[in-house]
Amino acid sequence: MAYVLQQLLQKSAARYPEKLAVWARGRSITYRELEERSNQLAHLLQQRGVRKGERVGIYFPKCVESVIAMLGVVKAGGVYVPLDPQAPTERVGYIIGNCGICALITRADKRRALDKATLSSLSFSILIDEAPQSSNGADVIPWGMLAEYPASHAPRVTLTETDLAYILYTSGSTGRPKGVMLTHQNALTFVEWCAAEFQITSEDRLSNHAPLHFDLSVFDVYNTLEAGAALYMITEDLALFPSRLAEAIAAHGITVWYSVPSALILLLLHADLNAERLKRLRMILFAGEVFPMKYLRQLAERMPGVDLYNLYGPTETNVCTYYKVERDRLAGMDKLPIGIACENTEVFAVNDQNEIVTEAGGTGELYVRGPAVTYGYWADAEKTRKMVVPNTNQRNFQEKVYRTGDLVQLGQDANYYFLGRRDSMIKSRGYRIELGEIENALLSHPSVKEAVAVAIPDDIVGSRIRAVVAFHDGVSLAPAELQHYCGTQIPKYMIPEAIDFRPELPKTSTGKIDRVQLAQDSAHLTLK
Amino acid sequence: MSTSNCVPNPHLSVKSQIREFILESLARPKGISSFADGAPLMEMGVIDSLGVFRLVSFLEEHLGVRVDDQEINLDTLRSVDTIEALVIRKRGK
Repeated sequence: MAYVLQQLLQKSAARYPEKLAVWARGRSITYRELEERSNQLAHLLQQRGVRKGERVGIYFPKCVESVIAMLGVVKAGGVYVPLDPQAPTERVGYIIGNCGICALITRADKRRALDKATLSSLSFSILIDEAPQSSNGADVIPWGMLAEYPASHAPRVTLTETDLAYILYTSGSTGRPKGVMLTHQNALTFVEWCAAEFQITSEDRLSNHAPLHFDLSVFDVYNTLEAGAALYMITEDLALFPSRLAEAIAAHGITVWYSVPSALILLLLHADLNAERLKRLRMILFAGEVFPMKYLRQLAERMPGVDLYNLYGPTETNVCTYYKVERDRLAGMDKLPIGIACENTEVFAVNDQNEIVTEAGGTGELYVRGPAVTYGYWADAEKTRKMVVPNTNQRNFQEKVYRTGDLVQLGQDANYYFLGRRDSMIKSRGYRIELGEIENALLSHPSVKEAVAVAIPDDIVGSRIRAVVAFHDGVSLAPAELQHYCGTQIPKYMIPEAIDFRPELPKTSTGKIDRVQLAQDSAHLTLK
Repeated sequence: MSTSNCVPNPHLSVKSQIREFILESLARPKGISSFADGAPLMEMGVIDSLGVFRLVSFLEEHLGVRVDDQEINLDTLRSVDTIEALVIRKRGK
């Protein structure tokens, strides 16, 4: 059994060397090429000083090199950090600093856009798009240099399953993104469950729709490698155009699709999605947000022979519960369950009396236990202490569990059902967004005195975002200026689509900002 | 003041109307306040999967051109320039 991720590749490369491993933007690589290039990259990284446990950023729009980079870093004993190529450079710079990233695998234009301080903190950058002649030698290395390193084997490195494999940054409520640390064991616990439940074989063709900094991609990449299957990366030229996307799914013979519900809803509404056209598609997995029942029923109808699964779990645990859609129950359901725990994971709900919920109808906060659970957040002991807590039910030794902050109910059918959040975290297109991060961005502008971000429920994307802002006396900004400013601080999908101004924000009787009132006002305005 | 679908002045040139729609309805809500005529709007993140449809609806409802499924792709909708070219081509028929 594999204990580090690269063993998945190694095994499949030995069995299927000439088989297509990864396809993206019209280019592809075989298992042999993936194995050899990642070996070479690992040697290069080690030679340039990347030591075990050191973080290497992966920062470019996805292509076949993305997978080479991921495997190359872990083979060197390093920890890769996928950086969102669409995020503002200030945010990327923050993550590079926060995570102590020593090297980047990136593209020339992405690197150029980073600020001087960030660039000088890096030991070196490997550019996937630059020709050997144009490098300055020392701190900029062209991809072509890989050819100078051994391809047949990976460098020696002592790793165990509890070594970190990657760090995924997610929205932070205190205003800055936080890095979820994930070990090889965390990833493999998930991958092994998926392999058993979904029976992925070497005949399968998996799509990769999610960005690589989003943990849905862990299934796409590593379950492909585990089975010796083929991965088809969906890039923006396809993802933005449902008709073209449906064509590509059909043309590539995709057998397994995994994405957030909104991507499927767009396909349903704007592409001719049907079983006849997508005859090889055998399974559709979705996660990240609630799938509105009306659209799910339509999807089920259009794709009769396909297995549909609702997968649930925060980045901190990857998928921890699952529900396989029972088609005969769909008509009568008003809500889809998040289901039951995955194998090798335990979940339980803790109610207000601090007891574990055992009876149907009981509600509480969902906790997760097992080898899928993160050890915590990079360089954030405080946040880790808050969320990764001692398991008071484990009397034999010290054990940690993760508190999800999600409120759930145990159903009559023994499935868990999602009720809502404890706090102000929302989902939009499956992206996790802390309203606090948006508010912090707004408040960081010198003219802003008070700011509240409000989520408006939306059928397709889950939530849309508006903001209400009060300025300091004597100053003001147009909404567009404030939105532009936000664009330099937070990713585009977090920017409020509309900003309403008040001289003062309404307060409750205890003097706190009346968020409930503001949420109602905003919802009303959106309906106009 | 909300930045939902704006209706540009029909007396402006086709290019100006396209630019104004994209700027007010798609770019500003994403914090982007300017872009060149040739700038790659999707790569920049100005147009996302929902934006594609709002843009196509705008072309159909306000500029009077019917766009086929095949014509909705990264090449035709890449920039203000290519969108203008698409509209002119459709109107010419």
